[in-house]
Amino acid sequence: MTDGDYDYLIKLLALGDSGVGKTTFLYRYTDNKFNPKFITTVGIDFREKRVVYTASNPNGATTGKTFKVHLQLWDTAGQERFRSLTTAFFRDAMGFLLMFDLTSQQSFLNVRNWMSQLQANAYCENPDIVLIGNKADLADQREVQEKQAKELADKYGIPYFETSAATGVEVDKAVITLLDLVMKRMEQCVDKPPAEPANGNGATKLGEAQPNEKKCAC
Amino acid sequence: MITDCCCSKMDLTSLQALERERVLEVLRRDKQLRTIEEDRIRRMKHDLQELRRRGAKSFARQYGERTCARCQRPLGKFWNSGEVCSGCSHRICSKCRVGAADWKCTVCYAYREVKFRSGEWFLEEKAKKFPVTTDKYEMVGEKLLKSYNVLSDISVVPPTPPPYLLSDYQFLSRSGDLKNSKPFTKSMEDLMVSFTSHIKKISTSQNDVRGDLLRVDSSQRETCSHYTQMSLSDTDINKTSTLFKGPSLPNLFKKSKDSDLEGSSTGAEEETSCGSEYSGGKRGSSSSMMSLDCGLIESIVVAGELELALAYNTHTSRLEITVGTCRNLSYGDTKRKKCRPYVKLYVLPGNSSKMKTTVKKNTTDPVYNEVFKVKREIIHIERHLLFGKRLRASVWHSGTLRRKVFLGEVLFPLDGWRFEDKDSQCFNWYPLCPKAESSEGGAVEPDGEVLVRVKFNSQGELMQLSSLNYLQEQDSRRQII
Repeated sequence: MTDGDYDYLIKLLALGDSGVGKTTFLYRYTDNKFNPKFITTVGIDFREKRVVYTASNPNGATTGKTFKVHLQLWDTAGQERFRSLTTAFFRDAMGFLLMFDLTSQQSFLNVRNWMSQLQANAYCENPDIVLIGNKADLADQREVQEKQAKELADKYGIPYFETSAATGVEVDKAVITLLDLVMKRMEQCVDKPPAEPANGNGATKLGEAQPNEKKCAC
Repeated sequence: MITDCCCSKMDLTSLQALERERVLEVLRRDKQLRTIEEDRIRRMKHDLQELRRRGAKSFARQYGERTCARCQRPLGKFWNSGEVCSGCSHRICSKCRVGAADWKCTVCYAYREVKFRSGEWFLEEKAKKFPVTTDKYEMVGEKLLKSYNVLSDISVVPPTPPPYLLSDYQFLSRSGDLKNSKPFTKSMEDLMVSFTSHIKKISTSQNDVRGDLLRVDSSQRETCSHYTQMSLSDTDINKTSTLFKGPSLPNLFKKSKDSDLEGSSTGAEEETSCGSEYSGGKRGSSSSMMSLDCGLIESIVVAGELELALAYNTHTSRLEITVGTCRNLSYGDTKRKKCRPYVKLYVLPGNSSKMKTTVKKNTTDPVYNEVFKVKREIIHIERHLLFGKRLRASVWHSGTLRRKVFLGEVLFPLDGWRFEDKDSQCFNWYPLCPKAESSEGGAVEPDGEVLVRVKFNSQGELMQLSSLNYLQEQDSRRQII
């Protein structure tokens, strides 16, 4: 399916506990299908999707420029025994879909651990991340409240989405938001003195210690 | 520190065989994608270089404030006097600017674009946290795939397959065409893995050797396998894989024309790292290898690289060779630190007329971008007729009194090159090698065999199959020393 006819290759990576639905989430995103079967991912996998990205200027207005973006979406095994393998792949990803299961309190608690894994292994200390609570369709089994998750996301300064791979709700939006963050990051990194320290919602600080520090180490 | 602990932990030994196969399958898929990406980047950087080159100040014209640094149009004193670009500090006319208030000149703009689109920004960011030790950015997947190929050398006992099958398969895998591997069975895939690891041993320039080599190899395999671990094996595998892929030249030209329309031109402020990541690693190793026993020619140390592109033009039925640029050449005149390099092309064996580029003065990084067309009579497209044919591109210094000094050469095998594959045609950097010496003399047979010289060093650990690269056309005898 791939040819070189695209403007950007953007590599995103999904991570989170085993069984939170990373694979189905990506499957929904790339193929718009749902596979309810649980097949544990062996180590690492990836899916691809070609999307059209519309650039927007710092004020949020679209500039009308569109780009073809080839997304390489890495899917990682949540299982502990693959940990050393999967974390090694963190380094090559430009953005992260950090997922937990809305019906599992434990998977939510582990978000913290995944965050520190990211901090240690991702390409920089504060990479672009979106927090995703998956399985939003299973309302009756819900264990994690939206408020709770939102607070955590705010603490890290990252966007939060409640998605459902089963129904497809918010799936696209979560990925596109992350893509947008990565594209903005890209510009900040290249234009050394950050031309516009704007887009405050994109402030992804893991530490939150010095909110005024530059967003990337450049 | 993080880098190291990660890499040492990161192997696939803890996985079961099936799992490992699964992961490797994914990694191979990733490699395919990366191959496409690398080609895309190369094309992009080539376009950028082209853009720079076009606007570069010529030697004939004095550098002055009076002309636009991009389009070379004269600037007036009051009217259209130009302004200084914030990126490159050159004086730019109003036509060569991109953007309104915060404008950049066309080259600075293109440079910035390339940085975005090639993902270079990301590599730079990553390098801040994980400093790159080698001169090549390497993805984790790449590393794993390689390390596994090394491992398999030990664990997989290679079956002895018919050589022609292997060589065919090698072509497939080399061009990154793993899609084609689908019809092959699993065992075939294993075979490939074991094969690649084996071919690594004979490394230096397996691509030159092709069928003949395989025969040599199978007879020599027992001996070879005692002496393993040639450090350059991986990079050489890489080299061959980059040899056979890439965008087509016509495309390339079309692209640069497009950018032409955008009204762009250039200067050479920043060094383009075009292709460096592909060639950097292997240059040192292979050329140092060569120099061990091929340094008999002249006192000039062979250094640097040559950029070449090959394309088969189906309309004219001609092979088109484009000589791009050279870089880091040795001085032809070492005393006076002068160099007037030109490139000479031959198709071997046979007596094709030689093709020469113009002579560039006083530079060790000449830019040619000259296209040469070879008639079909000489290059037959049929694979079997191409067997043994190769292209020799040698770089020479044109000295005083017609004295010529050899600066290095690249031998490019044509029989493995896939004309029909549009993707296998693009600009690539090739490290220059010393001239292969024909000191052994002896009877000359006209076919395209290969002279093989095997050397063991004192420790007996390193095996050097040094002159597997194509020797002179006369040296067709196979010898084992």
